[in-house]
Amino acid sequence: MSRMFGFLALAAAALAQDPRAIIQEVQKRSVSKSQRYQGTLEVSDARKKVATKQWIFERLGSFGESKSLLRFTEPPEVKGIALLIHNHPERASDQWMWRPAIERDQRIALQDRSTRFFGTDFSYEDLEERDVDQFDYKLLDQDTIDGAAAWKLESKPRKASQYTHSHLWIRKDNYTVLKVESFNKKGLVRRIVYSDYEKVANIWTARKTEVHDVTRDSRTTMRVDKLEYNVPLGEDNFTLQALRRKS
Amino acid sequence: MILLKLISWQYVRKHLLRTALTVAGIVIGVAVFVGMHTANQSVLFAFNQTINQIAGATQIQITAGEPGFDEEILEKVQGVPGVRVAVPVIEATAATNLPGQGNLLVLGVDMTGDRSLRSYDLEGADDDVIDDPLIFLAQPDSLIVTRRFAEANNLRINSSIPMDTMAGRVRFTVRGIMKDSGLASAFGGNLAIMDIYAAQKMFGRGRKFDRVDVGVQEAESVPEVQARIEKALGEGFAVEPPSSRGQQFENTAQIYTLASAITSLFALFIGMFIIYNTFAIAVTQRRGEIGILRALGATRGQIRTLFLGESAVLGLLGSAAGVLAGIGIARVMAGYIGNLLGEVYGIAQRAGELSLNPRLLGFAMLIGALTSVAAALLPARTAAATDPVKALHKGGAELITERENRMRRLAALISITGAILCLWFSQHRILFYAGYMLAVIAALLMTPTFSLWISKLFRPFLKAFRPVEGTLAADSLIQAPRRTSGTVAALMLSLALVVSLSGLARASYGSITQWMNIALNPDLFVSTSESITARSFVFPAEIGDDLKKLDGIDVVQMVRSVRVLVPSRKGGGSVPVMLVGADIDRIAERARLPVIAGDANTMYQVAGAGNGVVVSDNFALLHGYRLGDGIEIPSPSGVLRLPVTGIVIDYSDQQGSILMSRRLFSEKWNDSSVNVFRIYLKPGASDTAVRQAILDRFGSERRLFVFTNRELRDYVLKLTDQWFGLTYVQIAVAVLVAILGIVNSLTVSITDRRRELGVIQAVGGLRKQIRHTIWMEAAAIGVLGLILGLALGAAQLYYTLEIAERDLAGLRLNYEYPVGMALALLPVILSAAFLAALGPAESAVRGSLVEALEYE
Repeated sequence: MSRMFGFLALAAAALAQDPRAIIQEVQKRSVSKSQRYQGTLEVSDARKKVATKQWIFERLGSFGESKSLLRFTEPPEVKGIALLIHNHPERASDQWMWRPAIERDQRIALQDRSTRFFGTDFSYEDLEERDVDQFDYKLLDQDTIDGAAAWKLESKPRKASQYTHSHLWIRKDNYTVLKVESFNKKGLVRRIVYSDYEKVANIWTARKTEVHDVTRDSRTTMRVDKLEYNVPLGEDNFTLQALRRKS
Repeated sequence: MILLKLISWQYVRKHLLRTALTVAGIVIGVAVFVGMHTANQSVLFAFNQTINQIAGATQIQITAGEPGFDEEILEKVQGVPGVRVAVPVIEATAATNLPGQGNLLVLGVDMTGDRSLRSYDLEGADDDVIDDPLIFLAQPDSLIVTRRFAEANNLRINSSIPMDTMAGRVRFTVRGIMKDSGLASAFGGNLAIMDIYAAQKMFGRGRKFDRVDVGVQEAESVPEVQARIEKALGEGFAVEPPSSRGQQFENTAQIYTLASAITSLFALFIGMFIIYNTFAIAVTQRRGEIGILRALGATRGQIRTLFLGESAVLGLLGSAAGVLAGIGIARVMAGYIGNLLGEVYGIAQRAGELSLNPRLLGFAMLIGALTSVAAALLPARTAAATDPVKALHKGGAELITERENRMRRLAALISITGAILCLWFSQHRILFYAGYMLAVIAALLMTPTFSLWISKLFRPFLKAFRPVEGTLAADSLIQAPRRTSGTVAALMLSLALVVSLSGLARASYGSITQWMNIALNPDLFVSTSESITARSFVFPAEIGDDLKKLDGIDVVQMVRSVRVLVPSRKGGGSVPVMLVGADIDRIAERARLPVIAGDANTMYQVAGAGNGVVVSDNFALLHGYRLGDGIEIPSPSGVLRLPVTGIVIDYSDQQGSILMSRRLFSEKWNDSSVNVFRIYLKPGASDTAVRQAILDRFGSERRLFVFTNRELRDYVLKLTDQWFGLTYVQIAVAVLVAILGIVNSLTVSITDRRRELGVIQAVGGLRKQIRHTIWMEAAAIGVLGLILGLALGAAQLYYTLEIAERDLAGLRLNYEYPVGMALALLPVILSAAFLAALGPAESAVRGSLVEALEYE
């Protein structure tokens, strides 16, 4: 599930000290044909005001060429709003938003990917699944997170991105991503911490993801429930027609 | 300076009333000048300010005329190298129905990316104050308003506001409040932000944007990116910096600006004659004083400087008072002009505060002072040229010598010959205006001669009416032509202005009524707006099919009007004109407009087939198009080049209209929407019954207004009235200045004749007789001015109609002398003369006889 948010989406085998191999192994260990879960978002602003929303997330395929659809279910005012993402290995993803109240789909422009996703602390770019080949990697250090040994890597995007680079902490024993810190020219922008890992269908999956927007000092926590892998989903579940479905 | 203090100041103190009246001429002129210009500037400034505040960090704006363009254009622009951000915008004005709030300028934006260009400085210092961004997007009734608007209407987060939309009146919910700065101060704070896709739905815009605002990457040059966008989009799009919109507004409002400039200049011109008259008389009265000064060694230069200095000081005083009065006028006029531009041109702006331009105020002061000095030039020269010996002799100075008369007549003859010659070559703008000026100069030069002749003609009548008083009054006019002619000239100019303006109004009303009889002959008009000129909302074309099914409806014609920019062949650049997409050939079957050029039988067919356009006469005249000329009309599908197949009389728009096939319009603009349905009823069907049927069928589901033929005509006439509101102000100013001239002249005349009047009283003349003399003299001046004014008005009306045709509105108006107005002026001027004479007459009879006999 963590794959949904950018740097979680990685796979392939690895040699212990080769950063690219580490990421490939992370990606390989989280590969699945499809995924579905129910997410609960809690957005807490700088004044500690908390807003809660729920969605259903479905994904077909993994990494570079995956397609995913996210549809809000709660609260009633936002029910039906949906986001369709088509990821591509060689370029940025295509994203469309569906707004049932005006029965309109709207393409999210590339220029807008750095903006916040529906008032959460995720940006639209953070929702993309990126293939290992879209970044250059460097091993920075060995580190320990909550008692677990981890590699600290640096990734630099090869294509246009709001981030200049990111730091990733990858647990050595199970190749799960523990933390990602993303930077722009001015410094640290966003910190994402993955926790409550659980093995579902032989895939280690974080049940809790916490995003901290350092600039705004606001936080979004996402919890994953009813998680399933390899569910029967077809291509027609991820088309614009599917996006426009009312529920 | 010493002379000013010792001589002039003493004179002014003795003649305070006269001085005040003299200054009043300048006050009125400067006040009208400052008032009109400041009002215009304030409206323009408010519009530009709204543009700038809304533009935010926008560096380039992309438009394609009023109908906007398809959404796909946005992606094309976003893909152009060097473009940092490109965001779509829809602008609409909507009635809020909140008491005293008028229209709200609604800005539809894509909140996802728009913040890259515009700063939404929201209450609470956190952008989450769009209470929940997801809810804001999810609910199409979401609105962000300004704090000023919220406070004025006691609105808070989650309060609701009623607003007219395509779906009728909808209650919107306030989900954010902006602080009163930057964007929030646009449109006087009557601004609301909503999601663009919701705005498309609410305002019936389909999948179109009004414009795209662009921000350029840091390292890129704006002109280069602009050129790249132009190349990527092809012809038909305007890719310009935001400031260009201000220029378009100026073009649209230039008719109004020009008209108000003419009024103020005319007022100053008339004021100049009042000053001239006063100084001319003052020089005459102060001949003794001048003689003494000259005898004591004062040079001619010093005498000239003394009078010019006096006039400059008076001019400055008058200008200062005029500036203050003008600011008061501007406050009233700004709102009026703003409303007018909104009603007539459908332009959204709101002049909240006056924009006082120090340079304009300084310029007004300078003009006032210069006018005063210019008016005093001739009298000052006369004063300087006065022989000290002759000056110390009394009498004879107010006579105009035969030599002077000859010179004047010769100059008048040359001027009138020049004016006639200029008429021959009047196709050249400069010669036309030169001819106009020469005609006025000739009239002014001939004023003393005509005044003398007419006064002599009057004498027997006045004598017959009142033997003593009539003779005295007539002789006073005959013996002091210098004193009278200035006033008569001012009165003549004022009344000529009244005649020409009312002639213009009368001709315009006549032509518009004639046009309405032909063009606006459908029984009903169905519009999206109470004001038929507003184009914020449109109907889908399918409504037309539904309308046809209603009982009693015979024919439904669909009309789509949009403002587009086309090149002017006259002044260069682009001008905003009205493009009307309609089923031309079908409309022509029912409403055949008078043809100026082209074959009436084929022009509509050719244009209806999409192979040409029919243009209005005012478009052709104002922008230099003739039959067969090609017009380049920008559209989102590229520039259309269509020949003019016909020129007809059509007053749909002041800047001119272009009639095009509706099918071609729909194809090239990808827009099949409709502004107005023109409906003809079946014989015997009742317009009120069908109107009710239309409202019953559609009224609950969409915004819709049905006008009967009479209502629409009344509406058009109301707009015409609003436009001529300025003319009525001009007429009022002209009459006011005329009255002022009479008061001034009589006051001067009384003072001048105090001794004479004193003698009459001393030898047994009754106070009643003195009063009657002065009243008759006033009436005679009024009638003199009236006769000459009505005569000059006849010529001036010709020139005014020509100016209206050539430079103002492109209207070919019939010359028809406003006889009714001329007749109405007789009692008005006689009453004004009588009122003006009351004060001076009383002053003449109540003054001390001893002092009067000692006078001079």
